[in-house]
Amino acid sequence: MKAVLAKEEKNWINSVIKEEEIEKYMEDGRDFINDEEIWEKLKQNQNPEPSRIWDILQKSLSIETLLPDETAALLNLKDPELWQEVFDVAAKVKKKVYDNRIVTFAPLYCGNLCVNNCVYCGFRRDNHVIKRKVLTLEEVKREAEVLAGEIGHKRLIVVYGEHPATGAHYIRDTIETIYSVKVMTKNGYGQIRRVNVNAAPMSIDELKMLKEVGIGTYQVFQETYHHDTYAKLHPKGTIKHHYQWRLYCHHRALEAGVDDVALGVLFGLYDWRFEVMGLLYHARELEKRFGIGPHTISFPRLEPAANTPFVQETRYKVSDEDFKKIIAVIRLSVPYTGMILTAREPAHIRREIIASGMITQTDASTKIGIGAYSDRYTEQELERQQFEIGDSRSLDEVIRELAEMGFITSFCTAGYRCGRTGDRIMSLLKSGKEAIFCKLNAVLTFREWLDDFASEQTKEAGEKVIQKELDELKAKVPHKVYNKLIEYYGRIKNGERDIYF
Amino acid sequence: MEKETYISKETLHSEPSPFCHSEPSFSHSEPSICHSEPKAKNLLLELNKIAEFVKEKYNTHIWFVEIMGKRHSYIAGHKEDSFLPPELIYINDRYAAVSNEWERITEKDEIISTIKMLLSKETIP
Repeated sequence: MKAVLAKEEKNWINSVIKEEEIEKYMEDGRDFINDEEIWEKLKQNQNPEPSRIWDILQKSLSIETLLPDETAALLNLKDPELWQEVFDVAAKVKKKVYDNRIVTFAPLYCGNLCVNNCVYCGFRRDNHVIKRKVLTLEEVKREAEVLAGEIGHKRLIVVYGEHPATGAHYIRDTIETIYSVKVMTKNGYGQIRRVNVNAAPMSIDELKMLKEVGIGTYQVFQETYHHDTYAKLHPKGTIKHHYQWRLYCHHRALEAGVDDVALGVLFGLYDWRFEVMGLLYHARELEKRFGIGPHTISFPRLEPAANTPFVQETRYKVSDEDFKKIIAVIRLSVPYTGMILTAREPAHIRREIIASGMITQTDASTKIGIGAYSDRYTEQELERQQFEIGDSRSLDEVIRELAEMGFITSFCTAGYRCGRTGDRIMSLLKSGKEAIFCKLNAVLTFREWLDDFASEQTKEAGEKVIQKELDELKAKVPHKVYNKLIEYYGRIKNGERDIYF
Repeated sequence: MEKETYISKETLHSEPSPFCHSEPSFSHSEPSICHSEPKAKNLLLELNKIAEFVKEKYNTHIWFVEIMGKRHSYIAGHKEDSFLPPELIYINDRYAAVSNEWERITEKDEIISTIKMLLSKETIP
């Protein structure tokens, strides 16, 4: 059944794309993804010699972005022993750049109205089984109160469909609403300190507006970098059909001064090797143009969604084994970037991937139904969700498991509040210095969370991790820094909140 | 309340502050941050020069941020850091100077005054 667009929706659709904000970035009328070249690179770099692979791994360890030929060589590996080397070095790279902290966050879906009709998406316009809703600002506030005051999240990714009801002004208002929330907790107070945004591509002026209200990261996934596949999956006549409008939205964000941007691919739409190459080309293009690469890269796999048969039919489904390879090659190809593994994946996969030490961020206590946190849904309701999540464990459970694995959960949002953004954060990441901040702020923010929200069992596991981190920091940082850490740590134990390095 | 330390243009030209002339980094071959009439396009360059001056004289890092709600975006200055907590000094509603070790910079007031003057004249391009 086809949904009929209202006149005002049609007018709005016609006003969204600004061709001049695409063409100015293109070279000789072409975008930076050359499908033929990517396939050629994959073909030319088959059967790489082990010595070449070791050289590439060394390059990643020096936190240098790989060349397309180098990534293609990794993607062509066959030898299981060499793959094990790849996984091991990927973990070392992550440790060098971010130490052993994992940042947690939660998604907050604000609306599921959408003018697009993407064949793989539960929220597509023609999907009549979906119950449509856009949260009022009061409802957004209630969601944020639960997330910040009851669960203890400090960082959100706020998600919106592409629709005039959830356009840039609405996004701006929701960001301001979320930042205004302050909830008393057991020993202090809870607040959302960083609001990242996953929304449709916007114009430079709209992105400037979001910058003004303190947007965290602007995250847009290309879904697939393969031009023909993109055109097929995003029907003609929709905004999303325009490949380059989407491809250059990070350029526009950086030009607008939003200096943390995030990339991603929805794996399962096209060949995974091609998509990893696409991500690399995208990262290199941003580095070349702006000196700033992606703040994070996401690698969601296609998941079942209500009344969406495409998910079962696709021939590009990614196996668990290949999924791990994807993560490792991205980790090595763009070594400084944050990498997000979400609750789309089932608990056992998340456990395995996290234990492998390659990722930097994950979500927990995840609910993706509109209004699901404050309505306290206990079960997933597919007709309210974009897709089905695989891991609905609570933040407390996930943190306990991370602690038992030896990882410290970090709620750090310090960087973007003291100028560790843009090319400054790039420089700190590439030099491995950001890892020190990660460790210091992980200790402080984990202390806050343990005191305010942890169950007794999780607190017990967390205390051991904190002690280990403090011991490591004592040996690692100058006395002056360690003494300051101990001072701040004491102040947090006494109820002070949000002090950081 | 933060002490106001603006240096008037007249004062700068007649009695330059010590920090303007005490360091070779502000050589005559380069426009001094104190004596130039910075154009908007040169502002980031001027801020970088101030950061270099501070680094050379005090071995301390400073950098500059643009404030947008909770976001404080880096615009100029050092990319290194000493791992101590960052301390912000607000230049105006829009910009702040950040350092981990302001206490080491004995000419802090004069430096902040100069930055205030620069930023009151121009906006970041």
